Order: sequence, then structure tokens, then C-alpha cells
Amino acid sequence: MEIDTVTNGNSDAVMTETAPTITPSPVVPSSRSSQLTESLKLEHQLLRVPFEHYKKTIRANHRSFEKEVSTVVSSVGDLADSDWSKDATVSRLTSLVSRLQGLKRKLEEGSNVENLQAQRCRARIDHLDSVDVENITEWNNTKLKRILVDYMLRMSYFETATKLSESSNILDLVDIDIFREAKKVIDALKNREVASALTWCADNKTRLKKSKSKFEFQLRLQEFIEMVRVDTAESYKQAISYARKHLAPWGATHMNELQHVLATLAFKSTTECSKYKVLFELRQWDVLVNQFKQEFCKLYGMTMEPLLNIYLQAGLSALKTPYGFEEGCTKEDPLSQENFRKLALPLPFSKQHHSKLVCYISKELMDTENPPQVLPNGYVYSTKALKEMAEKNGGRITCPRTGFACDYTELVKAYIS
Amino acid sequence: MELKSIKDAFDRVATKQKLSYNKTNEIVHMLSQEIDKALSIIKESPSDTVLDHRSIISDVKKAFVGIAPVTQLEAAEKELHVALTKYPKVLEKQLNPDISKAYRNNAEFDTHIVNQIIANFFYRQGMFDIGDCFVAETGESECSTRQSFVEMYQILEAMKRRDLEPALNWAVLNSDKLKQARSDLEMKLHSLHFLEIAQGKNSKEAINYARKHIATFADSCLPEIQKLMCSLLWNRKLDKSPYSEFLSPALWNNAVKELTRQYCNLLGESSESPLNITVAAGTQTLPVLLKYMNVMANKKLDWQTMEQLPVDAQLSEEFQFHSVFVCPVSKEQSSDENPPMMMSCGHVLCKQTINKMSKNGSKSSFKCPYCPTDVDISRCRQLHF
Ligand SMILES: [Zn+2]
Ligand SMILES: [Zn+2]
Repeated sequence: MEIDTVTNGNSDAVMTETAPTITPSPVVPSSRSSQLTESLKLEHQLLRVPFEHYKKTIRANHRSFEKEVSTVVSSVGDLADSDWSKDATVSRLTSLVSRLQGLKRKLEEGSNVENLQAQRCRARIDHLDSVDVENITEWNNTKLKRILVDYMLRMSYFETATKLSESSNILDLVDIDIFREAKKVIDALKNREVASALTWCADNKTRLKKSKSKFEFQLRLQEFIEMVRVDTAESYKQAISYARKHLAPWGATHMNELQHVLATLAFKSTTECSKYKVLFELRQWDVLVNQFKQEFCKLYGMTMEPLLNIYLQAGLSALKTPYGFEEGCTKEDPLSQENFRKLALPLPFSKQHHSKLVCYISKELMDTENPPQVLPNGYVYSTKALKEMAEKNGGRITCPRTGFACDYTELVKAYIS
Repeated sequence: MELKSIKDAFDRVATKQKLSYNKTNEIVHMLSQEIDKALSIIKESPSDTVLDHRSIISDVKKAFVGIAPVTQLEAAEKELHVALTKYPKVLEKQLNPDISKAYRNNAEFDTHIVNQIIANFFYRQGMFDIGDCFVAETGESECSTRQSFVEMYQILEAMKRRDLEPALNWAVLNSDKLKQARSDLEMKLHSLHFLEIAQGKNSKEAINYARKHIATFADSCLPEIQKLMCSLLWNRKLDKSPYSEFLSPALWNNAVKELTRQYCNLLGESSESPLNITVAAGTQTLPVLLKYMNVMANKKLDWQTMEQLPVDAQLSEEFQFHSVFVCPVSKEQSSDENPPMMMSCGHVLCKQTINKMSKNGSKSSFKCPYCPTDVDISRCRQLHF
């Protein structure tokens, strides 16, 4: 099996399998699988978002069916209490029949939509269930793509998000349709229109109330300010009646803000008073966009930040060592890349409680199986790599970093605890 | 975590949803039936008295009261509601409901940098369509590495078709750099080519090829060359020879891997995608951080400012790119100012600890904390990992 010796300690380059290396300890597989379990616990959003969508559909359908049924019931009641002719009664009843048929159709359609959404919820549970130690690499590749799609959807890069999901066959695992709903509102707000945001608030009224959201109030305030901005006698009148109708109900809970904004009636949009000037600034619309994004994420059980940023932060911190920033750092370390360094800059360094030594020559871990040996010049390499070098060079060792040469017999073992 | 309890809770939702649907359907059906019945009676009744059809309608009304559709619908919804409220609670209990607890809000990422990283990721994975689409959609400037990765994938595609020419051309062109990187890629590719020729039953051509291209590697790869040449003796039945390993597809896979690694390294990139590595490291780190955050719920402020993680993420081996020495006594990570020192017994401590144990050099020897050796300070020496 001498063929191994030509590989220069490059472990991937081994052409044939050497004798199986002894597994360091039997704990490894179980720790791998507990690591796997822990990582699945990070997938709350994956299961939660489609469920919230499903729930919303169920609720909306139910409300509309209930309304329709009670309309039919009360129509019959009215009919019983009135004096219609036989023909008129027949025609009334006939229209009720077709109304009920329509309801049946709607019920069918609604149930189809619900079933599709239930299927999606299930597909995601099954996806979590499908991972094991064998297919983990592939599963993780899919995970990265999911995370990238999440990032793109939050950034409104819909085209790439769709393309990537289609080509990777992960449409069931990403939430493109849900983000499209958000995009409509965001686009409208960017055009300085509150209507679709208000519709969204009405659609999700109960839940927003429950979380004590004041998003609708903020939308109303903005609409009020736009009226004041117009600065005509007519618009002031309009603003005041608008405030009576839509802002006053919030007085009980948000009196201070209400007073603050209503005082704009006393100022013009060109005011220099900084406290009021800011209310007229157009970037208030961007504030609303951000506010909406937050409400939206909360409603669907999503993290506020893109998943990518959360994972990258954690990963960069765990990988961040002073060595990563040194000249000549191994290219295998992501922190050797300029872009990753920039992202890592404000993040904390990693912490290690125990020594972990990597052989400079073979890049393999130096542990009790492959202990570190010290050259007389103080440089340390793994036993395996040094043995290989000695075998090739008649027992001589040359330090690859300093050029120092010595005999294999001059090496001493270092004990790292 | 119990995936089963999540599944069960969801099954309950789905069952109740079906029940609720059936109930609604049934009610609509009953209402229709009552009206249909009334209609046919009215239509068939010969007399044309007002009273007659009115009494029929009031029967319908009574029947509706008996069915109590709204009450029934509400009851069905109530049951469904219980299941719908329960499921998210199960999710929150079994999973980590908010992984952004481990997020630092004061370290916002620059979107351009993140976008560049993503574009580069698509290109290095060979997903050129998607990379191009992403660059166009984000309006980022063209990725500088795109063309290089296009070439790399052309070489790899050719290798898949067992066409080694583009790979060999590249390896020969970068021969010096590959040697510097201590890679045997060139030899690997030539070996594969040699074996292909030999498999074509043309021993003579194979020998010529070996003389021309393989002999130059005699210094570093003599044993392998011996095996290659020897395999010619069995070229009609290599599968039953001592050299059947030469038929293994693993040889090609290894060559593909090595080429990818060397190609990326020469580009100044890692052989694995750095985005992949970082997200994978994040996947291992987040559970540890979240656990810490839960225990230290009141120390949130520190989290936003600390310069070192408070816990060891215990990343697996594949993420260990550098030697990190932690002094077993002081638990400090070594640094240029505080390097690791080996004592005469072979145990290693950090310099500060050794200074402390020798009372800053006032004692010429001290006892090793890990073995009975009396350590002579003058014989302690600095290590370089
Ligand atoms: Zn120490
Ligand atoms: Zn000792």
C-alpha cells in the first residue's frame, strides 16, 4: 500500500483506503445525532409559517360560510313573515336554492385550498423527519438553499428566489406566496398609499389587537399628516373630520402621540420646529415599511432578521480567531476571505476551552492517535506527517517553515492536556 | 425534541378541519333539502291560496330552527379552534421559538457584502443561471470570479465524460504552482490517462505515454509508477489482478476533488464553499448560544457588546482551521505575548503560568502540575504549532 505515500499527506488525495483508522471514541455517533436533533430545533419558522397561513385560511373560510348560512336562514324567516304570492315565493326559494348551491361550491373550493395548505405543513414536518446521519450533507445543502430563499424573499428578490426554489425542487419548503402578500403592501407604502396596508390590518384585526399592535394607528396618523400637508382650508377640514373618525378611538391608549401629531394642525409642512419637521419628512414612509415588515414577521411567527444573517453571525463568531486575520492564513478558513472578514469585524471572537492542534503539514488534528512531536527548534508537527517525511528521506526531517533539519530520533513528544 | 408530538398535534388539526368541513357540508345539504322539499310541494299543490304556501314556508322556518345551523357551525368551529391553538404551543415547546435571541442587533451586515457572498456561492456551485439572475436582480456588480468558475466547470464536465484533456492542460499550465502547493494532481491525471490508454488494450501506446509524461514524476511517485507499469501485465483482466483498484471510480472522484481544491486555492478561495462552512458552523453554534441565552436571560446587555463568545461552541473537527492552545492551568488561549511552553517532561503550559509557578524566575525549578517531574526553568522552551 505504498501508494499512500505519494499523496503528500493530503487526506482527500488518498487513492486507496488504508487500514481503517481507529475511531477515537464511541461517543462520536451519538453526539452527531444529538447535534442533529439540536439543529432541528432551530426550524421553528419552517413549521410555523405555513401553519399560520393555513389557520388564516380556515378562519376566513369559516367566517364567510357562517355569514352565508345565517343570511339564508334569516331570508327564510323574512319570507315566512311576508305576504308574497305563490310565484314570488317560488322565485325567492329558487334563488335561495341556487345561493346554497353556490355556497356548496365555495365550500368545496375553500376546502381544496385548505387541504393544499395542510399538505404543505405536512411536507415540512416530513422534511424534518427525513434527515439522518447518512443524508445530512444533502439535507444541509437544501437547508442552505432554504435560508437563501428566505433572505431573498425578505429583500424582495422574487425572481431569483423563485428560480432557485424551482430548480432545487423546494417550493414546498419556502414561503414565496406569503411574501408576495407582503410585497403588495410594501410597494403601496413605498408609493405613499396606505389603503392596502389598512386592508391588511382589517384582515388581521383580531391578531393585531391581541399583540397590542399600533400599526393601524400609525397608518392613520400618516394619512392625517398627508392631509395637513396639502395646506388648504378644505384639507384642514378634511383632516379634522378624519381625525375625529379614525384617530380619536386610539386616544384612550395613545393619547400622547395623538396630541403630538394633532398639533401639526398648528404648523405647516415647511415648519422649522424640529419636533414637527420630522413628522412631515418623507422617510416616515420608510418607517412605516419597516413597521409593517415587523408586524408581518410577528404575525407569521418569523424571525425579524433574515435567517441567513442569524446563521452567519453565529457561524462567523464561532469561526473567528485571531489567526483568521493573519497574513498567510489558510484559504480553507472562511475568515481568510475579505468579505467574510468584513462581516465578522464587529462580532465576538470564538472561545475554546480545550486545546485543539492542527498539524501544519497534514492539516489533521493532533490527538492521542496522532500525537504532536517537537523538533529541536520548537516547531510542532503530527507524528504521522513526520514519520512519512522520515520514511521518504532516510530518517531526516526538514522543518517546512524554517528549513531547520534534524534526525527523526531527535524529536520529542509533547503532552497536551 | 419529539417530532411525533408535533405530528400528532397536526393530525388533530387536520382531523378537526375535516370534521368541520363535513359538518358545514351536511348543514348546507339539509338546508337545501328543506327548501327543495318545500318548493316541490308548493309547485305541485293545485290550489292557489296564499295561506297554503305560507304554511309550507313556516314549516321550513321551523325545520331550520330545529337544525340550528349557526349553533352547529359554531360548535364545530370551537373544536377546531382548540386544535388550532394547541399546535403552535406544541411547536413552541418542542422547537426553539425564536432563534434571533442569539442575534446581535448592533452588528448589522452590509447588504452589498452579503449579496456578493451569495453571488459567489452560486457561481462556485456551478449554478450560473441563478447567479446571473441574482446579480441582475440585486444590481450588484458582476462577480469577478464568474469566468474562472465557468472554466472550472468546463474542466469538470469534461472529466465526467472521461475527457481528461482540459484538466491536463490546466494542470500542466499551473504545474509549478501545484508543486508549490504540494499537490500530486498532475500525476493523478496522467495516471488516469495512462490507465485509459492501457484499458484500450494498447500497451505500446501506454508505455510511450508513460515515458513521455509520467517518468518525470519518478522523484516523488516512484512506487506508484512501479504499480502503474506493472498493471500492464494484467491489462486484459485488470479486475482480477492485484491492481483492480485502478478500475475504481474513486480514482476519478478523488481527481475531481483534488482538481476542485487546487483550482479554488489558486483562485484564493477555499475548496469548500465558505458560505456553506459558515452556515454549517452557525447551525452547530446556535443551539449552544441559545442555551446560554436562556440560562443567562438577564445578562442580555453583555451579549451585544462582548468581545469573545461566553461559551465554547465545540465545533466539530472539520471547522478547526488553526491550532488553538489553551493552557490547562490558566485556561487562557495562547498568544504571541503568552506563548505555549514545553517543560522538560513534555507537558505544555503557557508562559504566564510557568512564570507564576517559578515565582517570576526566583525559583529555578518547580514541580510539574501533571507529573512528578521537577521542572528546570532554563529547559522550558517555546512551541510553535
Ligand atoms: Zn496558563
Ligand atoms: Zn509533567
